Amino acid sequence: MNWKKFFIAFIAAFIFIFLYDWIFHGIVLKETYAALPPGLMRPAEEFTRHFFHWLVLGQLVFVFFFTMIFASFGRGGAGAGARYGILLALLGFGTNLIQFAVHPLTTRLLGFWGIGGLIELAIAGAIVGAIYKPSAHTAT
Amino acid sequence: MKRFIVAFVAAYIFIFFWGWLLNGVLLKDIYAQTPNLWRSQSEMMSLFHWIIIGQALVVFAFVMIYTSGFAGGGVIAGIRLGILLEIAAIGMRMGIYAVQPFPGKLIVYGSVSGLVEMIIVGAMVGAIYKPAPARAP
Repeated sequence: MNWKKFFIAFIAAFIFIFLYDWIFHGIVLKETYAALPPGLMRPAEEFTRHFFHWLVLGQLVFVFFFTMIFASFGRGGAGAGARYGILLALLGFGTNLIQFAVHPLTTRLLGFWGIGGLIELAIAGAIVGAIYKPSAHTAT
Repeated sequence: MKRFIVAFVAAYIFIFFWGWLLNGVLLKDIYAQTPNLWRSQSEMMSLFHWIIIGQALVVFAFVMIYTSGFAGGGVIAGIRLGILLEIAAIGMRMGIYAVQPFPGKLIVYGSVSGLVEMIIVGAMVGAIYKPAPARAP
């Protein structure tokens, strides 16, 4: 594995995921989350003061292994990365459907999660794929 | 294609029964401690088809990812993919823990059981889906 490219891809994808999640969940979906039944989400102040680090740590773990799996393919390119991201988004949407069945979420939120997750991971995959390319002389 | 379908069906059957055993039986009492986070039993049953479709989508995506880049590695490659995907999922779970008031032990139990689940799924898919041997020139 090319660790230098791996870490550059990891950092670039993390910055994208952090900003995308902040805009998508923190701004675009703010009203949708506010309409959920009380007690389903942590209060904003509790989240900001005591749990924000869990969110960042979780994103770091997710992006690190997202990049690690792609790097294990040994195939580069933005297109391959985007396809990989779409497959991961499908897997994630499967878990969203299960969440919808057991938690009192709305179909509106489920729809946004599906579309938003697909766009997010397709772009994250394209970023990783564009940066992490196997060296030309090692390609067979 | 035939191997793909066999791997998908086998992994799906396992995930369905594992999910039922874990969530429906073993963790039942822990779920009962946080009723505001869950739908009522009758409501869940009316939405049960979404669980079936969701599980099928998870297994389909897993097998697709495996066949896209890990085919040929057998059981070990399948287990490796299962472990990597589950650790990524643990990252997602930490994010959910940050925004929803889940008890920490539920996140830990879910992560440990998820790891076992994905190792077994990976082993099953890796054992069943093997690329056809290369043709002689």
